[in-house]
Amino acid sequence: MTIRPLMGLFLGSAMAAFTSVASLNVAWAEDVTVSFLTHWPPETVAKLEAAAATYAKDHPGVKVEVRAVPFGDLLTTLRSQAGQAGGPTIAGIYDLWLPELARDKLVNAAPEANAADVTTNWPKGVATAASVGGTVYGYPNEIDVYALNYNKKLFEEAGIKEAPKTWDEFYAAAEKLTNKDKGQQGFGMINSWAAGVVHPFASLLASNGGALVVDGKPQLDSENAKATFELYEKLIKSGASVATMGTADANTTGPFLDNFVSGKTGMIIMANWWESALKAGMGDRFADVATAPIPVGPKGDGPHSISYSWMTVVSDGASDAEKKAAWDFLGWFNGPTSGENGASAMGDLLQSMGILPSRTSDVAAFAERLKTPFLAGYVDVLSEARPFPTVLGGQEFTESLQSHIEAVQFGKETAAEAAAAAQADAAAILEKAAQ
Amino acid sequence: MIGLRKSIFAMLAPSLSLIALFILVPIALTIWLAFTKWSVQTPFSSATFIGFDNFREIFGSTSVGRDFKGAMINTALYSAMSIALILPLSVVFGMLIHQAELKGANILRTILFATYMVPMIAVALVFSKLYSPTEGPFNQMLAWIGIGPQPWLSSPDTALVSVVLLNVWQQVGYFTILIIAGLTQIPQSIYEAAKMDGARGPALFGFITLPLLKRTLLFSVVIALINAVQVFEPVALITQGGPVGSTNVLTYHIRRVGIERAQGGLGSAMSVTLLLALVVTVTAVFALARREERR
Repeated sequence: MTIRPLMGLFLGSAMAAFTSVASLNVAWAEDVTVSFLTHWPPETVAKLEAAAATYAKDHPGVKVEVRAVPFGDLLTTLRSQAGQAGGPTIAGIYDLWLPELARDKLVNAAPEANAADVTTNWPKGVATAASVGGTVYGYPNEIDVYALNYNKKLFEEAGIKEAPKTWDEFYAAAEKLTNKDKGQQGFGMINSWAAGVVHPFASLLASNGGALVVDGKPQLDSENAKATFELYEKLIKSGASVATMGTADANTTGPFLDNFVSGKTGMIIMANWWESALKAGMGDRFADVATAPIPVGPKGDGPHSISYSWMTVVSDGASDAEKKAAWDFLGWFNGPTSGENGASAMGDLLQSMGILPSRTSDVAAFAERLKTPFLAGYVDVLSEARPFPTVLGGQEFTESLQSHIEAVQFGKETAAEAAAAAQADAAAILEKAAQ
Repeated sequence: MIGLRKSIFAMLAPSLSLIALFILVPIALTIWLAFTKWSVQTPFSSATFIGFDNFREIFGSTSVGRDFKGAMINTALYSAMSIALILPLSVVFGMLIHQAELKGANILRTILFATYMVPMIAVALVFSKLYSPTEGPFNQMLAWIGIGPQPWLSSPDTALVSVVLLNVWQQVGYFTILIIAGLTQIPQSIYEAAKMDGARGPALFGFITLPLLKRTLLFSVVIALINAVQVFEPVALITQGGPVGSTNVLTYHIRRVGIERAQGGLGSAMSVTLLLALVVTVTAVFALARREERR
């Protein structure tokens, strides 16, 4: 009876002492835990974890923990967890989402040194997309740009010698490539995926001298935009584009991808990050795919595609120590010393997925890799690309425009009706969002 | 008497508290948020009261109103088509299986119920391939009987029906089990008596089976309606509400507005409207059933 309490006391003391020592060790080894929310696939997450482990060697007080969610859940996770206790310290976001996150004070303005790093080492347009009202909010990383992809084999069969440079050539090529008996369409238009619908349209509009938004005001009923809607209508009515062949599913695959990889679509307008999907779907036939600038419209001054970027931001709700550690990690991760041959660790990671890096020194470090026929076509158009407008209400604006473009594709609205309705809706959306 | 009341309250308190905490509080919170302007990214304290503005907007003529009304119509069509197909099919399957003479009834019962147990993610992935316009097996099978390829999920005219068919395939087994349970409650003696009076097949079904199955059918309608109104996964996984918003149902639309666009007040107003519409519809179904019973 007397021994047991003593034993208990002893064991209790020993446990307490062990726990205290352990907790001291933990406190010494991992003073700050920084969580990193991303939509990257498992193999890329493994690379990010490896980079975090390398960083931890020189920064034993910081632990970077990766949280990965599917792409479709990223915005939902961000909206529901950002700013909450236990929410992610760092998050990878699409630049379109930044204005609302900044408005709601969920993202931390970059410290002076990090902001200077971004404005000095990234192209101006990309750095601007990572800023709101002149304040830098994060490190840009992935950059995506649109270009015309076409099937060389189908071009050869149709007797087309080179990629179309103007809308007239583009329409003529689309008609020649169309073969109803074979179930083959000249040009593939996407539906059921907001960015996939709007970005190619915006690229054609930019190449016709227009823009979606100018100084915060929508320009969807401009003559340039009306002509773009009319081009879509003409392609649909002639049968050179078949709307039902362009459906995309939640994984951005589905019939649209299937029809291009199986040689039933002659041309599409798509972003560089599709390279891996095309390779997976086409195998050796990927060599048949070529890239060319967006055809120029009658009012255009040259090919301009739409670009958009992704960036990493830091939660404003994190503690000061977490924010400091997060910015330090991001500076290192995106800097020229963390990767190989003068590239950043982020650049290495993006290249492993076939994605264009945006840091100027990364573009130089991966110059050889970017010379592959497929990617070179995208690198060539990058300098003349127009960033997709990042405005408050951008997501709703995109979805609204998507609905009108799809209405033209499926013959539910004429080009003129779509331009007028899209303009009215966009004006109301942007005005309300700005309030 | 007072002591008995106290003990009743004491016994009910734990369960009532849990119901209040997890059901009533969120409902009350949603109703309150429906009258506010609130970004879901910010604390509740940042919500500002704006009266009926959200309700005016969702029933207005702007794109918000058009999309919401479109989603309401899509949900109503989806629910009506689902119920119209599921109930007759489940009655037919239920009667087939309930016939003791039918060989392989247990196998049919297992197969039918198995579809209900398959996770929706798997069903959605498989059906998206089955429906593929160019390479999908459905179109290949139609070609065998001389019918041309159908666009299925790729056309605004057929996409919603295609999602309904997917739902019917998955749910019909569950409702068949409910119907079988209802059929077993009908005493055999009633059929025997009717047969002695000369009643046969259709008459037995129309004058005995169907009237005595009314309560089960009523329950099935209500459950099928609630399930249909809550449809979300196939839309989120396959169609994303498209093409041209033809499969944009309310739950998916509320998620898009409330979470993806962070418009918590508008999303809450839509949720409250959906709840009210569901309550009114279910009440109407029960009222109709009661009136029929009185007759």
